[in-house]
Amino acid sequence: VGFQKILTLTYVDKLIDDVHKEFRDKYRNEFQQKGTLGLLNSTFDFKDDFMRLLREAEESSKARAPTVMKTFEQSQKSQKTVKCMIETRGEKPKEKVKTKKNKGSKKEGTEAAVAAGKASAGDKQPSAAGEKEELTKDEILQKNREEFFKRHMKAGEKSRSPKPEAQKEKGKKPRVWDLGNSNAKVLDYSNSATNGSVEASPVEEFDPDIALGDRNREPGRLYDLEYDSDDEAEEEKVIQSPLKSSVKKGGLGGMFGMLKGLVGSKSLTREDMDPVLEKMKDHLIAKNVAAEIAVQLCESVAKKLEGKVMGTFTTVTSTVKQALQEALVQILQPQRRVDVLRDVMDAQRHHRPYVVTFCGVNGVGKSTNLAKISFWLIENGFSVLIAACDTFRAGAVEQLRTHTRRLNALHPPESHGGRTMVQLYEKGYGKDAAGIAMEAISYARNQGFDVVLVDTAGRMQDNAPLMTALAKLIAVNAPDLVLFVGEALVGNEAVDQLVKFNKALADHSMAQTPRLIDGIILTKFDTIDDKVGAAISMTYITSKPIVFVGTGQTYCDLRSLNAKAVVAALMKA
Amino acid sequence: GMAGSAEPQPEALRPAMADPTVLSVLLALLAVAFTFLLWRFVQGRRSRRDAVLLLGLCDAGKTLLFARLLTGRYRDTQTSITDSSAVYRASKDKSANVTLIDLPGHESLRLQFLERFKAAARAIVFVVDSVAFQREVKDVAEFLYQVLVDSSVLRNAPALLIACNKQDVTMAKSAKLIQQQLEKELNTLRVTRSAAPTSLDGSATGGPAQLGKKGKDFDFSQLPMKVEFVECSARGSKGEEGDADVEDLEKWLAKIA
Repeated sequence: VGFQKILTLTYVDKLIDDVHKEFRDKYRNEFQQKGTLGLLNSTFDFKDDFMRLLREAEESSKARAPTVMKTFEQSQKSQKTVKCMIETRGEKPKEKVKTKKNKGSKKEGTEAAVAAGKASAGDKQPSAAGEKEELTKDEILQKNREEFFKRHMKAGEKSRSPKPEAQKEKGKKPRVWDLGNSNAKVLDYSNSATNGSVEASPVEEFDPDIALGDRNREPGRLYDLEYDSDDEAEEEKVIQSPLKSSVKKGGLGGMFGMLKGLVGSKSLTREDMDPVLEKMKDHLIAKNVAAEIAVQLCESVAKKLEGKVMGTFTTVTSTVKQALQEALVQILQPQRRVDVLRDVMDAQRHHRPYVVTFCGVNGVGKSTNLAKISFWLIENGFSVLIAACDTFRAGAVEQLRTHTRRLNALHPPESHGGRTMVQLYEKGYGKDAAGIAMEAISYARNQGFDVVLVDTAGRMQDNAPLMTALAKLIAVNAPDLVLFVGEALVGNEAVDQLVKFNKALADHSMAQTPRLIDGIILTKFDTIDDKVGAAISMTYITSKPIVFVGTGQTYCDLRSLNAKAVVAALMKA
Repeated sequence: GMAGSAEPQPEALRPAMADPTVLSVLLALLAVAFTFLLWRFVQGRRSRRDAVLLLGLCDAGKTLLFARLLTGRYRDTQTSITDSSAVYRASKDKSANVTLIDLPGHESLRLQFLERFKAAARAIVFVVDSVAFQREVKDVAEFLYQVLVDSSVLRNAPALLIACNKQDVTMAKSAKLIQQQLEKELNTLRVTRSAAPTSLDGSATGGPAQLGKKGKDFDFSQLPMKVEFVECSARGSKGEEGDADVEDLEKWLAKIA
């Protein structure tokens, strides 16, 4: 029902539009006069027309020859002189840049050109003419761009020269992520005795180098956050888009249009909808919806409403708002509803545990919500095994152990027929997470646990080795449900996180149909008042439902999503 | 003082009341109010429920059934992406006409079309693919559950017919079996849905109504509306040229029209 953007045929959009128009024009009479019964009874001999249109579309996509690159003589650059590129404005920082630029251009003329900026600077050398030219707007723009590039090259060169010696003696030992080599032993701070009993803790094998990291810093000094961007004189020239001059259709035409709108025979055009859509887009962005998603949403609403005839006494604003509301509700109610209890019952019948994996970036609330979900499952009479596959973060295992103890205190074995409702499966720190997960699942199968909740370490979506490790865990253990935990405070980051997580899972899976994220848990919902846009961003990107919403830190703070309430909060002024 | 100023006022009013302009203004206002009420009444009458919705999963056979009922002929159909509606003459003698509305069954579209048309529904025909039923029983039950706990469906209680389609294939399950399986699945579903975490704004997820009676196993007779099961075949046992096997369906439609 609609095609995805994976089709790389460039003519598909245009072909669909052409077919649509041709079909409508050819059978216009039938549509207008006969109605549905007529449609059912008549035959539509469209095959020849369709083949013709298809052939035309294919021809047009082939006909465009690859554009030939302009030679240097043809480009505008060769027409200009060096002197005209020099800024004539009298500001002080510009003068500084001017002198630097001359030096830079000379230096760069000799280097091998890699970046476009470098290439253009180098090419300027041969142009010899010395007369000044009138600077047009385009040339100012180009000039500024070149300055920008040159300044970046400047910084790179400067920083490159003093650094090489410092780098060699830095001595920062790289943190070894690969588990299974000798360092793993060093990282294992736990012991077989109960953690928490003070007397039983022996002297730990503590490697100060690994723990401290950078040895060469002054002890006690807090360094600033480093980032190299020269922000002194950097202004990006923001190109002001020419303000759309709203042409007021004068007098009689305007009156007539308004009357038509009242009567209800006016059809919506792009120009009518644009101001309203702009406002709605800004409103959505103010409500924490990711910017690109707000843009796409408004685009699709515009496309859907184009040409629609408005009803009586409805304004453009109300029609657009209505359509946007419907679209938002539809986004939040995606296709398959994830019913965890139903699936757990199914797995129970087949005598195997139901495995749920929690993944997400650092600090979103994976362990907290895992505890909440296990509480909910226990309330419904299912026994839970928590697998502590977060073997990196200090205190992760202890955190889960505390939760287990509390949950067992809330639901003691006596009230559930003598069986422990929740148990923790852990193997300490530093071990391979995928291995622990596999062992936990087979342990659950042997002991007859209904659900296995696998807690993984938080990781940034850009960290390739960690994403590979996560993908391996999921591919090897084939969990029944992969839940992505995301916090409601996130803004545009949500898009990036989800895209990269899904991509990592798809890339590293060997199977035909890779296991992707099956559902989303939206956490920290109590911290946002009505800026609920993150829900929209996340479901739009993955088209998977939000299974749970976390609204606090106690065990009862687990909710399910109510699409209409969220959309009402989103559309509220 | 005050009493004195109050005295001349009613006397001033009386001549004003007798003044024809004031009377005519009052009459005009009354007329406007009357037409307004009449207009609302007419609108209310116009939106009376006279639609029969064809619901079901994708590929259940709704569009073909729609075509067969209206024209009697076989048509090649594609997955619907929008609704189709036409007036159906239920029986030859009565002037009772119903509007048959064929809704798309695709997961991403079905709920929004249901939202749009559920208020106008006098009856619902839920089409089930009897051949693929064993495989799809959970999805069928989930959709049926969503239809049944919808607030306006519960309020209007339209007559429900579950049409077990594709009976021309030998592997098709009988209506009795489908009924039993659906009852079992809906029984489980109402437990799991009501045990789900409460909704964000506090309202229960399964809707305020519990499907059927609490203590007992779910049964279609516990629902507020009349439910019937019917076997039919839109394609017909004689192939595309022959008639469809939809007599039971037509009889039911004639009954509720």
